[in-house]
Amino acid sequence: MFSKVLIANRGEIACRIARTLKAMGIRSVAVCSEADRGGMHTRAADEVRVIGPAEPRASYLNIEALLAAAKASGAQAIHPGYGFLAENAAFAEAVERAGLTFIGPTPEQVRSMGDKRAARALAIEAGLPVVPGAEGSDPKTLAREAQRIGFPVMVKAALGGGGKGMRVVDTPAALEEALASAARLAQSAFGDGAVYLERRLERARHIEVQVAGDGKGEAIHLFERECSLQRRHQKVIEETPSPAVDDALRARMTGAAVALARAIRYRGLGTIEFLLAPDGAFYFLEMNTRLQVEHPVTECITGLDLVRIQLEVAAGEGLTVRQSDVAATGHAIEARVYAEDPARNFLPQAGTALKVRWAGGDGVRVDAGIESGDTVTVHYDPILAKVIVRGPSRAQSLARLAEALDGSLVHGVITNLPFLRALARAREVARGSIDTEWIEREFLACFAALAEAPAPELALAAAALGELLGVGATARPRAGAARRSNVFASLGPWRIPGLGT
Amino acid sequence: MKSVWRDGDRSRTVEVVSLGSGRYRVTVDDAPFELSAAVGPDGRLSLTTEQGVTSAELTAAGARRFVRLGALDFVLEREMGARRAGGPRGGHQVGLESPMPGVVTRVMVAAGDVVTKGQPLVALEAMKMEHLIRAPHDGRIRSIAASVGEMVNGGVPLVEMDEAAG
Repeated sequence: MFSKVLIANRGEIACRIARTLKAMGIRSVAVCSEADRGGMHTRAADEVRVIGPAEPRASYLNIEALLAAAKASGAQAIHPGYGFLAENAAFAEAVERAGLTFIGPTPEQVRSMGDKRAARALAIEAGLPVVPGAEGSDPKTLAREAQRIGFPVMVKAALGGGGKGMRVVDTPAALEEALASAARLAQSAFGDGAVYLERRLERARHIEVQVAGDGKGEAIHLFERECSLQRRHQKVIEETPSPAVDDALRARMTGAAVALARAIRYRGLGTIEFLLAPDGAFYFLEMNTRLQVEHPVTECITGLDLVRIQLEVAAGEGLTVRQSDVAATGHAIEARVYAEDPARNFLPQAGTALKVRWAGGDGVRVDAGIESGDTVTVHYDPILAKVIVRGPSRAQSLARLAEALDGSLVHGVITNLPFLRALARAREVARGSIDTEWIEREFLACFAALAEAPAPELALAAAALGELLGVGATARPRAGAARRSNVFASLGPWRIPGLGT
Repeated sequence: MKSVWRDGDRSRTVEVVSLGSGRYRVTVDDAPFELSAAVGPDGRLSLTTEQGVTSAELTAAGARRFVRLGALDFVLEREMGARRAGGPRGGHQVGLESPMPGVVTRVMVAAGDVVTKGQPLVALEAMKMEHLIRAPHDGRIRSIAASVGEMVNGGVPLVEMDEAAG
């Protein structure tokens, strides 16, 4: 096993990885940008290296700086987390070329699954059902294919994924223009203008299967996760098991996922995403070759540490867990806390999280990336924390989630907590009758009515009395954390009239 | 004490009159009620009304007040002075504010430039989203309070411009 590992990430996932490293007696090295100096993930690790300015390109996406930090610290391996360079084949290659271990799949696996057309071909080869689709560069051929597939169709970027570089085309007349603009966007966003077509499935659910492979052809699954509660293709709440999957369907989906992982001799932890249509048919969507944001729900029901599995495979110990050892008990749900204003079109928020408090207690786990006094900057992903609950049944864990969200508090930065609280109490969520577009189709309007309601008179009375009695002005940013971004936050309540609201 | 608070799109007025020994008469938007208020050792406000006791946790962040009432969160913003209440400040001059905290990625005009309505002036980026600040009307740029690479808070005036005469 490694004695020192560098975590090429930040925020909650860097903190979470550091936790397993500590538990395994491995020294952890955090990296941070200048904007993240003193951030929670730097406090969670044994040592810290500053790798560059705030802009991700100059720091967390800067391969040279990361390799230099790994060399200087004496780390033998690099854990990429999720996002940033986690699915960048060139990075995986550079890490190996530098004589270090990339904690993840082979560069070749990252590359082939990153190209959605290549991934489709591999899935077909392994016998998995795929969404009816077509590829090619000739618009006329694609137009003919689109007729065969049936409208509406999705135009997707070959190097996209996770909802990026994707658009819906409703009519044949709109196709040509959509193909051209999607190709232009794909070229600028991914450096490759290749696009492909897929049938658009109505009211489909997003179900994914967690797999782990030893890189030699053996692979196991750790059940499914349901991630249908999404807003603009961004997952909001995930759970396992899925209320839409019975034992027979589970056996078929996990079987298909394991077949693909075995066929490509997959190494490490991966997730195979499927769309589940209302008629019970499921289709391969894509494979994520990394640790997922929502991995904790799987850990909650299996009792396994997924980061430990990654480390063991990367260190050459193979899969220490056999399929027959994997069992699931209970039900787990995760809600993602984002720095965004749900009352104002989910605009990203920044500032100083003056007061942060997370729920705790039985069956509650919070993977957080901020504590009281930490700065939330505009440079990175807006995820602040994940509130994860476990209960014996779905109904009980849903009730526990609502309670845990009520018991959590973030003051100083506006978050989506009110949105999550409303979601956790929605009737359709309780029934499990959800699909990937349900939030936008039905729930957003209900939530807007709630969010636009006037605050109760007592809230206004509290604010005015607070000013009169000098309550609420004591919170201060963490020492050294104050910067230009929170200059207004640090001025306190007694502001000069007319300035900077 | 009278104060004005922004609550979403609303402007709400609160007047507090002390009645002595922790009792207050509070008038919110012309609706008066009485309550008792006490500050607990944990810094929380304990509010007693006819309906019962409610705990309120307050955090001030600039003009914002984060208010936790029971299990519900509200964000109110203190409105200072009369100038803010009514539209643009001072006659023909309009301050264009950042809609969200972000990094200024492009400044497309300079002081003195004549611009037309809808023309992009400044680009702001936050969490992978780009937002263009456009001229709300024809006019001349008075000043630019933003430079490329600078980080700004939400609601900060970035551009000041005059309206075209006539």
